Amino acid sequence: MLKDITIGQYIPGDSLIHRLDPRTKILGAIAFILALFIISGPKGYLTLTIFSIIIIILSRIPATFVLRGLKPLYYILAFTVILNFFLTPGEEIWRWKFLRLTVEGLRQGVFMGWRLLLLVLTTSLLTLTSSPIALTDGIERLLNPFRFLGVPAHELAMMMTIALRFIPTLLEETDKIMKAQMARGAEFESGNIIQRAKGMVPLLVPLFISAFRRADELAMAMEARCYRGGEGRTRMKQLEMKARDYSSLVLMVLMIVFAIWERLGA
Amino acid sequence: MSIRVENLSHTYMPGTPMESPALVGISLEIKEGEFVGLIGETGSGKSTLIQHFNGLLKPTTGKIYVDDIDIGHKGTSLKEIRRRVGLVFQYPEHQLFEETVFADIAYGPSNMGLKGENLTRRVRESMEMVGIDYEELKDRSPFELSGGQMRRVAMAGVLAMKPKVLVLDEPTAGLDPRGRGEILQQIKELHREFGLTVVLVSHSMEDVARLVERLLVMHRGKLVLSGPTREIFAQEEELRKIGLGVPQVTELFHHLRGCFPTIKPDVLTVEEAHREICSYLRQKRGNIHA
Repeated sequence: MLKDITIGQYIPGDSLIHRLDPRTKILGAIAFILALFIISGPKGYLTLTIFSIIIIILSRIPATFVLRGLKPLYYILAFTVILNFFLTPGEEIWRWKFLRLTVEGLRQGVFMGWRLLLLVLTTSLLTLTSSPIALTDGIERLLNPFRFLGVPAHELAMMMTIALRFIPTLLEETDKIMKAQMARGAEFESGNIIQRAKGMVPLLVPLFISAFRRADELAMAMEARCYRGGEGRTRMKQLEMKARDYSSLVLMVLMIVFAIWERLGA
Repeated sequence: MSIRVENLSHTYMPGTPMESPALVGISLEIKEGEFVGLIGETGSGKSTLIQHFNGLLKPTTGKIYVDDIDIGHKGTSLKEIRRRVGLVFQYPEHQLFEETVFADIAYGPSNMGLKGENLTRRVRESMEMVGIDYEELKDRSPFELSGGQMRRVAMAGVLAMKPKVLVLDEPTAGLDPRGRGEILQQIKELHREFGLTVVLVSHSMEDVARLVERLLVMHRGKLVLSGPTREIFAQEEELRKIGLGVPQVTELFHHLRGCFPTIKPDVLTVEEAHREICSYLRQKRGNIHA
């Protein structure tokens, strides 16, 4: 059951989107989010939807996989849409007791829901098409210019890499400790909420201890290989911006310009 | 107390690209009071198999009976099965979590509903069973003990549920020679004095040769050999083929037989070897004098 978690899952591939530089993809995702929140009318939504569909097709990732990323969002999505439906003031078209459905609410609800949908679909494509290592590399390089402001770019990236690396390890460990305590009669799936919370102690204490031990060992192993932070560190795989990256960035700028134009026009 | 496994197969993550068969068509029986060893190379399915004995894993196909109770049956209380079949995992000290040794050992029995006087007696008994002093250690934190002592505390935590069958997954892994010796001696006594049925999973041919009566040998998820320890270790060829071997002293005697053909072939432990060499030499000296 624990193994079903797919946070930041990466599907290896060789599509155009896979081959883009991670920096391009991160900037692209940010540009897309910006555009998404600037637009305000059907014309804008239509354009961005088509854009999303094209990117998903280009990434050659099965649509079912992309849609699976939406699962945890069903509730938030439903909540947003319904709240907007009934709580937006405006021209009333239907009422039941204190609930008032308005034209403006309908419009707002559909747009908000659609906005969230596109947001999650497109940004989940970022992790689906870039390996965690490539992503953190990209983040490090993007943050590098801010180092003089005191942003520890390399350290942040390294922490993310390590955290991602240890997700499966910790899940495995959790599974093992759960079984060991179940062999001693523990029950993790029964009882009321307080009993359940109490029941987590025999799981969490050993888990924390082992996480600290692992951290300690990892630090030792890194030091044994002369790790001393990002200063002067070279990389095996150099990130390189290619023509396709520059053209993608130009495309993203055009998209933002379009979004602003659409907003002002509407 | 017996465990019977019928045609058990287990597949990890069925229906996904990561699907992999871990156990294939295993049938076996462990009788009451037996001391059984389970050996096999890393990844042969030993740990997966023993997790079926107390219902931590559910078979993909096949059945498991503990005392003729089908543990896959809907109405079976898994808690009761887990009380009867105690499972000591690899590195069991990693599951310690309480503030005192007493509280940690009491975790299992109190999950079973034991309280007060009875609980105290149970903890005291199980600490004595693994050879640690109740008065001295009960109020100490389990995390400030030595590795060997931590492992005993963890074992006591399982024994405190009064299991009839004790399954141990590599109980000596990571201990120094003295720690190993002591733990193994303790397990032997649990079997002899308290009449526990013991299943010992091990990578050490020496350990199983010294302790167990019967061996189960696994290879790639299948049970390939099963029989009395001496008979299994007579099949050195087969064992080598699946990445195992025989105790070093047994191997030495195989070589010795090249020069001294009358020497006994199936020596398993250092003590046996010692006896055999002495009697061989004595006999030889007798021959010369005659």
